[in-house]
Amino acid sequence: MTQTSDLDRVAMIILRYMRRPLFALLFVYSVGIMGMALMPGQVVDGETTYMNLFHAFYFFTYTATTTGFGELPNGFSDEQRLWTIFCLYTGAIAWFYAIGSLIRLFQNPHFIQAMDGFRFARKVERNVEPFVILCGFGDTGSLLARGLSDHRMRAVILDSDPERIKALVVRDYTVAMPGLCADASVPKHLLAAGVEHSACRALLALTNDDDVNLKIAVMARHLNPRLGVICRSTSARHEANLRALDNVMVVDPFEIFAQLVYWAIARPELHNLNAWFVGAHGVKLGAPVQVPRGSWVLCGYGRMGRWIHRYLQAHGVGVRIIDPEVDAKGAEEGLVIVQAHADHTALVTAGIDDAAGVVAATNRDSDNLSTLLAVTELNPDAFRIVRQNNHENQVAFDAARADLVLQHSLTTARRILKLLISPLVQELIDWLAEREPAQTEELVARLQASVGAEPPHLWSVRLVPGEAPAVIEYLDAGGAVTLNALCRDARSFPEELPCEALAVRRAGQSIMLPDKDFPIGVGDEVLFCSVHWAELLLQATLHNPYTLRYVVTGVDESRGYVFAWLEDGLRRRRSDHKPNRRRARP
Amino acid sequence: MNLERVAFGFFIILTLSLNYAFVAGGLETPAHHNVWILTLTIIVNLVAIGLKLGDRSQTGALLLASGLVAGLLLITARVVWIVVESGGGGGPEPGEMADIVSIATGALVANIVATVILVGDTLLSRR
Repeated sequence: MTQTSDLDRVAMIILRYMRRPLFALLFVYSVGIMGMALMPGQVVDGETTYMNLFHAFYFFTYTATTTGFGELPNGFSDEQRLWTIFCLYTGAIAWFYAIGSLIRLFQNPHFIQAMDGFRFARKVERNVEPFVILCGFGDTGSLLARGLSDHRMRAVILDSDPERIKALVVRDYTVAMPGLCADASVPKHLLAAGVEHSACRALLALTNDDDVNLKIAVMARHLNPRLGVICRSTSARHEANLRALDNVMVVDPFEIFAQLVYWAIARPELHNLNAWFVGAHGVKLGAPVQVPRGSWVLCGYGRMGRWIHRYLQAHGVGVRIIDPEVDAKGAEEGLVIVQAHADHTALVTAGIDDAAGVVAATNRDSDNLSTLLAVTELNPDAFRIVRQNNHENQVAFDAARADLVLQHSLTTARRILKLLISPLVQELIDWLAEREPAQTEELVARLQASVGAEPPHLWSVRLVPGEAPAVIEYLDAGGAVTLNALCRDARSFPEELPCEALAVRRAGQSIMLPDKDFPIGVGDEVLFCSVHWAELLLQATLHNPYTLRYVVTGVDESRGYVFAWLEDGLRRRRSDHKPNRRRARP
Repeated sequence: MNLERVAFGFFIILTLSLNYAFVAGGLETPAHHNVWILTLTIIVNLVAIGLKLGDRSQTGALLLASGLVAGLLLITARVVWIVVESGGGGGPEPGEMADIVSIATGALVANIVATVILVGDTLLSRR
């Protein structure tokens, strides 16, 4: 069996549908035209005239389409008029039939589907901008698409739910985001989405089904081994499978969520910095949430609850668990477990009175909200962290005034966006998480001093001829550029721009928080945190050899040959004079 | 203050001023247009082009391009003048004068562009 493309399918469907109407038209036209040519016309000079075939065709064309120019080229005889009546009715009916078939064809679901697939594949194929393939357009997927659009990154979207793809059309993305309603785990659709396209940067498997995600990752692995895959997975079994594949990054929304809860509780300064980096609403740098010390009550011990428990316990935070389905016997010694719904009595049993705070992390928003109400009543001082499951309940969670609302689809989308747009940021956060809080506080103080409280603009630049021609030229000529010099403001030398270099990636190695006098080299990738306008100025420095030389040396050099030559002559004469003068002095 | 900038600014603005001085007046009136001013404009323009040779920045490239356009048009205008002068006795006819002045007006546009780029670049760098 030979492979059929979408175009072949479209052509085949059109031919199959239009065969009969076309034959009907052909038949009616031939009969009408021949009849018209055979009908005796008016008698001129005693001889009967006949219409020739071309005139018959001309006449039939305007009659069958009910245009009706009249009797052309000469007046008709009665026989011809009789035949005209026949022509008019049969022709009009044949046309109605043909047009009706065409309309039916356009409404045929198979035709629409094949047409969509064909158009989608063509759109993807013609795209030259870098893009990512997004499989699964649920809460996480749509949030991620919004984030990608904000960063002017294109995405190609696959989802098996037609409603979600239809919703895609009405979104106001800043870049083109073609979508197709199809099962992403079918290789044909992955190919149509551009898995083998040279501009494809990554494949994201974000459907709610772990099996489907695994399938997508495996298919993509086979189709294009060089393509990076980011895969959502919530089960240990799938994760082990996925980790065995190289170039695949596993993202567990529950683990990310648990990590954030842990940071909020035990590392507020890091949580604050991370939230500021991702541009979370209403976050001020250097003003971390004030979380009381003590043991915590965790409501919900499902997949997410287990992750939170594991994280908190590993870092010495006491946890008491409330869950209706938890098995108290299997748990380790000393763990307080209340086997109930997180209502009034259960919270009292778990000791909400002396708890530092509560984490309402069940997978039902109504339960989490009611837990919040009970906690507010029992212990108003307790810190309340709540998990929001459904994006549509946003208003209710805003009204609940919890101390921290975490929505796992949002946290996952932000994490993936960071991995896609600037992987160094995530590396930096992980690096800081492993070190003492003092290091984070030092960085926060540095950022506050240089960038200020404004929302940050994170961007990275690779020191390659395409992105930083001036720097490459300067380094190749034997010069040395430090990060400090690069960040100077050419408009008011030697002041610095509100810009901090956070990390440098060199030959696969990452150097976090490099010193101010760190010498940059060819091929380095530097991550900057700055305000928006500072990027424009720094880009100018990276591109303009004169500006770069000025910020590095502080000397504004001549640009044209004439002045360079004059200056050279002047310098030479000066150096010729100096020894003479020295000799004359003593 | 950078001596090179002063020199270049001087020549660019002088080209613009001389160019305007040449084209100002009636389009077809030979008495309003002085061939010496045109020749001087060409020389000053060529000096400005020479000063920009060797600049590797983007604005430098754009200034060089506009200088070349102005030079090309001004020299064309001068060549037309020479041709019409050698044809018949005396200066150019009103119709020929109109040709010369309109070509020089084109050069004026290129000079205005160069001046705008120069001023804009200086204002943006603010130092």
